[in-house]
Amino acid sequence: MPEVDDELNQKNNKENKDPNYWRSFKDLFRDTSLIESNQSEFAEGVKDDFEPSRLSGISRRKFLALVSASAALAGVGCSDYRSKGHIIPYNKMPEEIVVGNPNYYASTSTVCTHSCGILIKTREGRPIKVSGNPDHPVSKGKTCAKCEASILSLYDPERLQFPVKKNHNGEFKKYDWKPIDDEILDLLNKVGDKQIAFVSHSVISPTGKKVLDDFAKKYPNTKIYSYELFNEQNRNSAWKKCYGSDAAPLIKWNDAKIIVGLESDFLGTDGDKVETARLFAEGREVHNLEKFNRLYMVEGSLSVTGMNSDYRFRLRPDAQYEFVMCLLNEVSKSGVAIPIDAEILANYSLNNFAKKYSLSNKNLKLLVKDLVNNRGTSIVYAGRTLPEQVHIAVNLLNEALGNSKLYRDDSINVNVLPQSHYEEFEELVSQINSGNVGVLIHYDSNPVFHLPHDLGYTEALNKVPVIISFSGSQNDSSVLGNYTLPINHDFESWGDAKTRTGFYSMQQPVIDPIFDTRQKEAILLTWLKGKPVVYDDMIYHKYLMDNWQNNIYPSLNSKMSFKEFWVAALHDGVVIFDESPQSYGSFNKNVLTELQTKSKTLSDYLVVLRESYQAGDGRFLNNGWMLEFPHPISKITWDNYAAVSHTTAKELGIESNDKILVEVGNRKLEIPAFIQPGAADKTITIELGFGRKTIGVVGTDVGFDANALRSKSGGISHWIYKANKVSKGSGSHKLVSTMEHTMFAEALTEDAAKKRKIIQEGTVKEYRKNPHFINTENPEKMESLYNPHAYPGVKWGMAVDLNKCIGCGECVIACNVENNIPIVGKDQVAVSREMEWLRVDRYYSGTIDEPITSNQLMLCQQCDNAPCENVCPVAATTHSPDGLNQMIYNRCVGTRYCSNNCPYKVRRFNFFNYRDHFKNSYQQSHLFSLVNNPEVTVRSRGVMEKCTFCIQRIMDARSEAIKEHRPLKGSDVRTACQDACNTEAIKFGDMNDKESEFYKKYRTHELGYYVLEDVNTRPNVTYIAKLRNTESEEV
Amino acid sequence: MTKDYSVELALVEGNPPLRELDDVISAPIDSRPSHKYHIALAITGSLLLIGAICVGLTFYYGIGMWGNNIPVAWAFGITNFVFWVGIGHAGTLISAILYLLRQHWRTGIARFAEAMTIFAVICAGLFPIIHVGRPWLAGYLIPYPNQHSIWPNFISPLVWDVFAVSTYLTVSLVFWYVGLIPDFATLRDRATNKIKKTIYSVFSLGWRHSNRHWVHYEKVYMILAGLATPLVLSVHTVVSWDFAAAILPGWHSTIFPPYFVAGAIFSGFAMVSTVLIFVRKVFDMEHIITIDHLEKMNKIILLTGSMVGYSYIIEWFMGWYSGSPFELFVTLNRAFGPYAWGYWIMVSCNVFFPQLFWFKKIRRSIPITLIIVILVNVGMWFERFVIIASSLSRDFLPTSWHYFKPTLVDLGILFGSFGLFFTLILLFAKTLPVISITEIKGVIQGSQPSHGGEHES
Amino acid sequence: MNRNQNSLFGVAALFDSPDDILNAAKKVQADGYKNYDVNTPYPIHGMDSAMGFKASKMGYVTLFFGFAAATFILAFMWWALAVSYPLVIGGKPFFALPAFVPITFEFTVLTGVLSTVFGMIAVVFNLPFNNHPIHDTNYMKSVSSDKYGLVIEAEDPLFEENKVVELLKSLGSKNIELVYNPEEEKFQIFQPRFLVFLAIIAVLTAGSTYITLNKFMYLPPFDFMLNQNKGVSQEESSFFYNKREMRTPVAGTVAREYIPYAYTGETDPKEVLSNPLLPTKKVLELGQKKFLTFCSPCHGNYADGKSRLMGQFPPGPTLHSQRIINFSDGQIYNVITNGFSIMPSYKRQITRDERWAIVNYIRVLQRAQNPKPSDFTEIKEINKESGKNVPN
Repeated sequence: MPEVDDELNQKNNKENKDPNYWRSFKDLFRDTSLIESNQSEFAEGVKDDFEPSRLSGISRRKFLALVSASAALAGVGCSDYRSKGHIIPYNKMPEEIVVGNPNYYASTSTVCTHSCGILIKTREGRPIKVSGNPDHPVSKGKTCAKCEASILSLYDPERLQFPVKKNHNGEFKKYDWKPIDDEILDLLNKVGDKQIAFVSHSVISPTGKKVLDDFAKKYPNTKIYSYELFNEQNRNSAWKKCYGSDAAPLIKWNDAKIIVGLESDFLGTDGDKVETARLFAEGREVHNLEKFNRLYMVEGSLSVTGMNSDYRFRLRPDAQYEFVMCLLNEVSKSGVAIPIDAEILANYSLNNFAKKYSLSNKNLKLLVKDLVNNRGTSIVYAGRTLPEQVHIAVNLLNEALGNSKLYRDDSINVNVLPQSHYEEFEELVSQINSGNVGVLIHYDSNPVFHLPHDLGYTEALNKVPVIISFSGSQNDSSVLGNYTLPINHDFESWGDAKTRTGFYSMQQPVIDPIFDTRQKEAILLTWLKGKPVVYDDMIYHKYLMDNWQNNIYPSLNSKMSFKEFWVAALHDGVVIFDESPQSYGSFNKNVLTELQTKSKTLSDYLVVLRESYQAGDGRFLNNGWMLEFPHPISKITWDNYAAVSHTTAKELGIESNDKILVEVGNRKLEIPAFIQPGAADKTITIELGFGRKTIGVVGTDVGFDANALRSKSGGISHWIYKANKVSKGSGSHKLVSTMEHTMFAEALTEDAAKKRKIIQEGTVKEYRKNPHFINTENPEKMESLYNPHAYPGVKWGMAVDLNKCIGCGECVIACNVENNIPIVGKDQVAVSREMEWLRVDRYYSGTIDEPITSNQLMLCQQCDNAPCENVCPVAATTHSPDGLNQMIYNRCVGTRYCSNNCPYKVRRFNFFNYRDHFKNSYQQSHLFSLVNNPEVTVRSRGVMEKCTFCIQRIMDARSEAIKEHRPLKGSDVRTACQDACNTEAIKFGDMNDKESEFYKKYRTHELGYYVLEDVNTRPNVTYIAKLRNTESEEV
Repeated sequence: MTKDYSVELALVEGNPPLRELDDVISAPIDSRPSHKYHIALAITGSLLLIGAICVGLTFYYGIGMWGNNIPVAWAFGITNFVFWVGIGHAGTLISAILYLLRQHWRTGIARFAEAMTIFAVICAGLFPIIHVGRPWLAGYLIPYPNQHSIWPNFISPLVWDVFAVSTYLTVSLVFWYVGLIPDFATLRDRATNKIKKTIYSVFSLGWRHSNRHWVHYEKVYMILAGLATPLVLSVHTVVSWDFAAAILPGWHSTIFPPYFVAGAIFSGFAMVSTVLIFVRKVFDMEHIITIDHLEKMNKIILLTGSMVGYSYIIEWFMGWYSGSPFELFVTLNRAFGPYAWGYWIMVSCNVFFPQLFWFKKIRRSIPITLIIVILVNVGMWFERFVIIASSLSRDFLPTSWHYFKPTLVDLGILFGSFGLFFTLILLFAKTLPVISITEIKGVIQGSQPSHGGEHES
Repeated sequence: MNRNQNSLFGVAALFDSPDDILNAAKKVQADGYKNYDVNTPYPIHGMDSAMGFKASKMGYVTLFFGFAAATFILAFMWWALAVSYPLVIGGKPFFALPAFVPITFEFTVLTGVLSTVFGMIAVVFNLPFNNHPIHDTNYMKSVSSDKYGLVIEAEDPLFEENKVVELLKSLGSKNIELVYNPEEEKFQIFQPRFLVFLAIIAVLTAGSTYITLNKFMYLPPFDFMLNQNKGVSQEESSFFYNKREMRTPVAGTVAREYIPYAYTGETDPKEVLSNPLLPTKKVLELGQKKFLTFCSPCHGNYADGKSRLMGQFPPGPTLHSQRIINFSDGQIYNVITNGFSIMPSYKRQITRDERWAIVNYIRVLQRAQNPKPSDFTEIKEINKESGKNVPN
């Protein structure tokens, strides 16, 4: 309706033009200011707070826009898939392999003359761990640290990978086997009537010996010289003189009540330690006090055996003879018939002797009393380094006391090939010098390093036209030769071994040769086949089987077919049959003439050479694990040293680390000294096997070669020499150890271990009198602010029986291998950054001359109230439902707070990526990395780590149990250290299983205590206090 | 003492007109830097560079570049951290606690002290990050939802540290900035240069000196002061818990919180005077930062120094009284063990020398003051070092004992942190008013109504 | 900018001494002006009462946010350590209250401070406000240095320019200035410069994120130990010639618990092994499982040769033939192990126990095909017991 609209408009217009209504006088009189103000909608000054114009440059909107846009694009940024490489399965899976599961192979280690039976753990055909073969009559499931560590030599990137030949300007150049074989074959055939000399370590393989015999058949001028750096020759020859048979008998250590060790480290390096330690520990069983033995030790410097002795006399080794004679005298006085004229004995008075060498007369008397009272159950045992004379006297003493009852009649050591004497080597050298030796073969041996230098062997070598060295890697001898032929590692080799009567040990390879290497027997066999030379990698395998089928198997008249027999033999790793040891005759009185010599006061310095716990005879000097393995007594790594008593040090005016100059005959050696508590005065004890010149990066410049002091004619014996001069040397050499040596230094720190109840000890008598003499409240009963968390199901715990722990440290190496512990090197040990999860703490108490030594295995105590967990800011270490203190590597940022708060200081920190840091990433080479346990994380730098109670083994056991639908039992799991412990000192089990032997016999034993109980960390590792079998009641 | 210093004596000598104050205070900002300044900057800068290089090495190779070992897993890193946090405490104390106590003399030095707090805390904050083995994962200490679906361990004193230090830094910054806003406004209004003007306007947020604002502003300033006071005490308490909450003999001790706080203020004041003595000379502000200021600070140094000395004595007492062989051993070992040298440096610098301040002459003698305060700084650094290194190096099991020796990298990082600190100080002195223009105006004579409006509280 | 074109903001007067400004403020307040402000270079004691302010309420903000923060953080820590991911830490309870106190305190202070300051500046003061009319005026310059100023805004209801000017003069101000509103400058949100800036930022963020997450994080040592240098099953090896980390055992060696099968390769050995497994329920179930997996494709689910591969593949024979029924367990085992004519060896796929289990299961199938009468009665018995009845 338009007109209406019009009307409205007109109306409005009218109003505008002519307002009938006025609101104020201003309005009425048309005040301009009002009209003005009406133009704007709002009154002056009234403003909208949210005017965009009021927003500053970067407005919220803009900001949000910016954030969202970048967030969106960031999202785009995180869209990528990283290739993780190919998966390569078997195309023909071997029947025995289930991928991811280990296989075990029984074999034999030949790293030393004892040839332990070993069990090699492999994963997909790669050896990753060595332990003892439980079926082996000697090793009984145990083995030694060197054996465990030998796996490192298999994966050593510096192994010789192909044959090499020295060219005219003296460098070794790579060759193929074929031409080398041909050349050598020609040389052998051309040798004519000249001698072909083999220089070998002692041969322990019957079949290996047969190969040599075959070789000798084809080349009649072949002569074989075998040696060991340390051998039983003195003991055996003495025995032969006394009883007529070749080898001294083995001892029933487990039946001995009284053991008197004379300079014999039978728990360390003297004899087959694996067996001896086991038998000895049987006499240290707290649950059977009747059987408890008493160990007297008479030695020049502290040894592992000495650490475990109840009474210890420090005596310079050249006085041992006099000492034995005194004992004979005393014993005869107390009515034991000694078949020697009295006036000879009369010269030897124990009292004077005690005075002369300031030994405790009281204890000596006690020793004599014990010997007399325990006739037939006591044994006096002289060290292999002592001269023949001492051994004869000792044999006489044992004979007189009727201790021959303790000689074992079930088995005895045998030599497949008797070792040569130094005279024979002199013969060899003269042969060489007179040009009668055409070819010299170093048969996996290193005579240049091992033989006494004054033999002139090294010099003689340039007179040999052809020197062939069979060796895993270049060594001091091979570099002087023309050819070096790389040979297989143990784990790549076939073989057999015979070291004792009653059984053979079998050796089978667990991996094909990694490099272009051959087994030493195989090389010879190939040559024997003559031209054209064709190598067949089965050659020795076949030869071995033939030899067994034709020669050995028939002699054993087994019921099985040979096929079965052979499979069984390889499976068990040992062939046991009954073979009675050579019987020995009655004591031959004529030897007594050897005991005529008079005694005299001994005043000059004495040099005693011992076998190294770490480097063996030098074969392990390129093995990082062994070199970083803390010396059982001094805890020194990466070096050998001259151990001297502190009085001697004063005389020489030296401190530890200062070099001393030792002169024997015209032979000199400068070597750093170390003040060894309990060392005899004027006695300088040095370990051999160090200071090799030609060796890989790891062993370069490690230690000092004390072979330089030895003489072909020997001193008092081949290992004991009178020094004509010992003086302060020039400068010093830092010896690094994993423990500070401050114990005796300050009043503050004296006997700290006992004052702090870290070590708690008693004597058998005390224990008999009061089984609860360890005054300690049971920590389970100790008060706590919070009530403890419950651990239903399995709760893992460990018990360490300090009576059995001899402090040898095998467990340390076993742990290294199992848990991928890196080698850190001397510089890092020097600043106390060693990575071993396990350590054997060694505490001295008493005086520096007569120290009482206590060993204690120290590892993560898996505390219930773990202090480390409280302080970790990122919860990288927490408790598992089965009571373990876990370490989560990937969560760890490395604040190291946990280590600070750990009262036991068992946590280890990767200050560097040690695999990269050590010897320019030697450990990161692909080959080396194969040694690592696939089940265990390889830790990177900046991460804290520690003992896990072998969680990977626990998990294996658990999955087994689940597979078999049965509950997991404590006894299903054995930790690596437990496996390795020769004396079964380590027990592991379930603390909630109140019926288990672990709980009843160890966890709740009245001698059990925790370290640092009053800190109330509630550890899960129990220590069974050590009992010393002394006459007095207090230690 | 309940004297009101604003009445007792002039805080600003000569009582200049307000505009002159502006000129004096903003002189360093307006003028071009002298070559003295350049030399100073060069020195601190190169120190900073050394530090940066050493940190780089640490990041690349790992903590192994330091002297740390097992057992001494903490050494220089944490020592420096605690040292710097301590330095930081003086600033907040001066600006907050003295503010609450109506100590008007504080105005001359408050701004500077606060700046130092912030820089010191920045230095301190770096160390926890660079001392960890895997710095790139340091974020794990912060609670954020992550793929591990795991949270930090709030039980750990280190997490407390993260909260305490970051809170402290933030609050100090806010406090400082709130104080700066009016000054920015003043600078804005006297600025002639266009760029400067815009920058100042941005930071002044368009402050108008409006009394409708002042009323809230003063209230909030007091609230901040009120909150900062317990905070500053809590921060060093928490830091001391890093040690007190551990079970290590020599750390596990209830006296640590007061002991550390006293020490912190002690070292903080020492550092403030050290720097002020130079600043007042270089920027000739002797009449604003007067000798009286220094004397008053020396008195506080004397007091806190004695408190620190007292806690040293208590440690001996506790060593004996605890009856724990470990505690006793640690106490003896500190004084006579391998780290005895450090211990006696600490005792002489922290306890003996400050006692000289009993004499008014020495309190008012600038050279001697300078020497003593520098000694105090040295001593306080050694205090932390001794507590950390000597306790760790010989703890429960004698077999794991080992001595700590610093490496060059350790030292480099220590000097680097000083480089960073002083570089920041120099930059600050050249870019911002080192004295609160507003506050100083508020307290000079005749700045308030003569009959005096009643003091609002 | 030329201010005179804009509306008047207010009249500003400068005073020289704090006393004057205080009096001025008192007077202006007394005259009942509301929209006026006093600007002084520093707070003047007594000014708030002069201007008739009440005490500031900022404290309550602090209080509220402080408490809120405390409750939140405490609840959060409880949730994180006791609910979301409970972990046993040092034998302490999951909710270890004493240990949570420090963080609670710190967080309280932090939130208190931030909320208060933010509240004051942004909410109460409505700052930043850089284009307030009095900025850049001579008045502002003076008051921020040494003068004391008072401005009465035009918005005030009582505002009358001349009156106000008079008033201020009377109060003793020597310097009076009219302040005008500035003209409003406009921002548009999308300046090209800003957009470019935005793009650059975005690209940078995306790039850096990509590098960090996909490249950087896989470099040692940042790689979370992803690259383990150890031999892992089925991994590619750069060392061994056939690129295989997994080695095959040496020919002729004997692994523990694994005596090699004596008759390998012999299709019809003279003597064979005897079955070590008894046909227990467990064994038969295992046998069935493996039979259906490995055997049924050719021999059929019931071993009757009717298989799903019928026709596409040489058919597997029925296992119910008299010949096979007469086979000894050992012979069947031998066939599985060594294979038979075109049937391959299954020793790699099937473990030894599984093979014996299959043998047992085959026996069951054979028995099922031609049962003895006694079986029926037995089955009846069983069914009676189990209570279900099947047709005979």
